[in-house]
Amino acid sequence: MGVVSDIERQLGKLRVLEEADGMPELRTSTMTHIVWCPPEWLAKAKGTLAGLAERHPARTIFLIPESGRKSEVVARAELKGFQLPGMAHEVLSEVIQIRLRGDAVQHPGSIITPLLVSDLPVFCRWRGEPSWGTGELEEILEVTDRLVVDSTEWRRTPAAYGDLSALYERTAVSDIAFSRTLPWRRKLADLWPGIATIEKLRIEGPRADAELIAGWLRSRMKREISLTRRNAEAVEAIWVDGEAVGHGGDPLSSSELLSGELDQFGRDPVYEAAARAALPTPR
Amino acid sequence: MNDEANPLLEGLQLRRRPESCAVVIFGASGDLTKRKLFPALYALAYRKLLPEKFAIVGVARSPQTSAKFAAAMKKAVKEHARDPFRQDVWDALSRGMRYVGTDFADAEGEDRVGQVLEEIDAEYGTAGNRLYYLAVPPQAFAITVSEIGKRRHKEGWVRLIVEKPFGRDLTSALKLNELLHTWFREDEIFRIDHYLGKETVQNMLALRFANGIFEPIWNRQFIDHVQITVAESMGIEGRAGFYESAGVIRDIFQNHLLQLLALTAMEPPIDFTADSVRNEKVKVLKSMHTPGPKSVVRGQYGTGFVEGIEVPGYREEDGVAPGSLTETFIAAKLYVDNWRWADTPFYVRAGKRLGRRETTIAIQFQRAPHPPFEAIAGDGLRPNVLLIHVQPDEGVSLAIGAKVPGAGMTIRTVHMDFLYGGAFRTGLPEAYERLILDAMLGDATLFTREDEVEEQWKLVDAILGGWSRDRPNFPNYASGTWGPRSADDLIHRDARSWRRH
Ligand SMILES: NC(=O)c1ccc[n+]([C@@H]2O[C@H](COP(=O)([O-])OP(=O)(O)OC[C@H]3O[C@@H](n4cnc5c(N)ncnc54)[C@H](OP(=O)(O)O)[C@@H]3O)[C@@H](O)[C@H]2O)c1
Repeated sequence: MGVVSDIERQLGKLRVLEEADGMPELRTSTMTHIVWCPPEWLAKAKGTLAGLAERHPARTIFLIPESGRKSEVVARAELKGFQLPGMAHEVLSEVIQIRLRGDAVQHPGSIITPLLVSDLPVFCRWRGEPSWGTGELEEILEVTDRLVVDSTEWRRTPAAYGDLSALYERTAVSDIAFSRTLPWRRKLADLWPGIATIEKLRIEGPRADAELIAGWLRSRMKREISLTRRNAEAVEAIWVDGEAVGHGGDPLSSSELLSGELDQFGRDPVYEAAARAALPTPR
Repeated sequence: MNDEANPLLEGLQLRRRPESCAVVIFGASGDLTKRKLFPALYALAYRKLLPEKFAIVGVARSPQTSAKFAAAMKKAVKEHARDPFRQDVWDALSRGMRYVGTDFADAEGEDRVGQVLEEIDAEYGTAGNRLYYLAVPPQAFAITVSEIGKRRHKEGWVRLIVEKPFGRDLTSALKLNELLHTWFREDEIFRIDHYLGKETVQNMLALRFANGIFEPIWNRQFIDHVQITVAESMGIEGRAGFYESAGVIRDIFQNHLLQLLALTAMEPPIDFTADSVRNEKVKVLKSMHTPGPKSVVRGQYGTGFVEGIEVPGYREEDGVAPGSLTETFIAAKLYVDNWRWADTPFYVRAGKRLGRRETTIAIQFQRAPHPPFEAIAGDGLRPNVLLIHVQPDEGVSLAIGAKVPGAGMTIRTVHMDFLYGGAFRTGLPEAYERLILDAMLGDATLFTREDEVEEQWKLVDAILGGWSRDRPNFPNYASGTWGPRSADDLIHRDARSWRRH
């Protein structure tokens, strides 16, 4: 039996089991949510999904690449039931976990395509830095409407923003690192018009966040602004020409951030310009 | 500061956040404040949707200290809010909260409210902006409006949320409108109909105007008839004083039911601004003609069983006159006389102590003209119905005919369901949250305009005029049933029947 029919059979069985309690179940979906998830990210990704389930019912497909092993595809399907307050029905979300081994890593397309929920958007959350130019990225881009990354998970920032920008014409892209900086960007926007003459930006925070904030300011102001940075887990403080900016406010949780990305559909020109302007000069 | 020139604002997803203001609740010791308004304000605070500079002032006659009022409201929030209680959210909400015990009839009392508001402006930077919420009984309404009006603050904006009932007939509604306009402009007046704050009611507009497939068939050619049901299983819950003088026609029909009808029947507005939407609704109300006496039925519940428990009849409820002629049920056949709806009946019904609690709008389409199946195959086949569940189980379902698996061709009606909670698993906001926030933002789209209320009362007055000429034989339906037999007759005469579930 093929992997896809095996998954469908597993799901069918689970649905019958769920219905045994007599209550009709609902399977409303708003999207297919693919998670490209190298094994080292799996625990984290599942945590985020657990926090997300309340908001985005979806068929979630975890693709776990395990290269260097014998070519093989192993799949497991699960149903997650949610009781809704004030409703007799239970809502079911489907979570499918597919381990791609050996050569199968480069060919996820043929497995995902038959599993996509018809007519609904496909989001792919790519954990870690995308493997630019590989077969797996190409095939996933083929079926994805929106690629969601978090550039704080990358090793090659800011240079890798250049690789990312090559994808803009093919799919909408969002970067959770950029969304995370939203409260700070709002604070900086509040400084207008005083901030119009900014020359130097200093940030205490992760590389990606800092580069993106600087890129955002450059692209909005359409000129060079220098960045100096001290490392920290999250953005702790920002100085504009030596002057400290008030604190940006509480950061959102990773589930809240991803949830926000899953509500966006079109391209984000502000992000695209910011990431371009974050690239090391010459741009 | 010149915001338009600020290049940093693009894409910042700035939520509409209201300007600094003070919310003044008249009737702060009452039931509405406790069960709806504070839980809604708390939900807004929880989501950081309130302005940073904000304060609440409660006003009522009962004497109590601000601290005692705050403690009572905290308890109310713990009991009735949809979000978990968080001390930090409560602290932010209750910072600057004050209570003024005063009688509005007493001019000095009103001056004290003014004084407290000045202090709050100075202390919390609320900038003279005021949102008054009138949660007082109708008899206290006129005096409260005049006293607020006379003391209109010179700086900042003033907005006034007015609760139902808005008058008890056309004459009193006209008088109320006149009184309000003595002091306030129409765009400062927010007449609440909390049904309009419900997500599913707004979803009706999304369903109709965001989908290409419905609007082309949303007319007399494809729709056989529409049924709107606002059914409660509860009785009057100790509100005899109010109910005896209102009845279901003033409590539900005049406002909620006619609003649901107007949203169902209206033409597409050119945009989603307050006036465009309300213009279209008024046109519907204007084109409804007065139903003849045979097209309206009233009822009153007697004893019966609700959810397995025996309940008393209306006349046995505390505070109700033993020979009361107040109606607790209404059913009517209404027509919207325009190009889209000519000859398409809208059957509406509302009542207390009915078979179950449900508010629905059912759009029943014409039958398939010539099903090519054997007669027997189509026995289980009913016309398509698009059912909008307003409450409970908010959502939309479409009844369609489908083949029963197996040999042969047997057709059964099945439901395609879209339940709100199933697709967007966030708790739905309470109507009052949305409405209070909109009023703070000055957006009146989901509030009833002066001319809408007047049109609603015109229709109600015409029905009441007919009723005044004869004595109904009450009670005429048992609690826990779907109303009097005459309601069935009303629709059976047209060879149709009410939906049962
Ligand atoms: N409760 C609901 O769910 C609900 C729903 C829809 C609409 N409404 C409408 O909202 C309004 C308030 O309803 P409610 O249920 O909260 O009524 P309620 O429990 O009787 O409370 C009325 C409030 O108004 C004050 N009040 C009464 N008479 C007054 C007077 N002559 N002068 C000044 N203040 C007076 C009362 O406090 P003191 O006695 O201390 O002054 C109390 O705070 C009514 O118009 C009602 O129709 C209520």
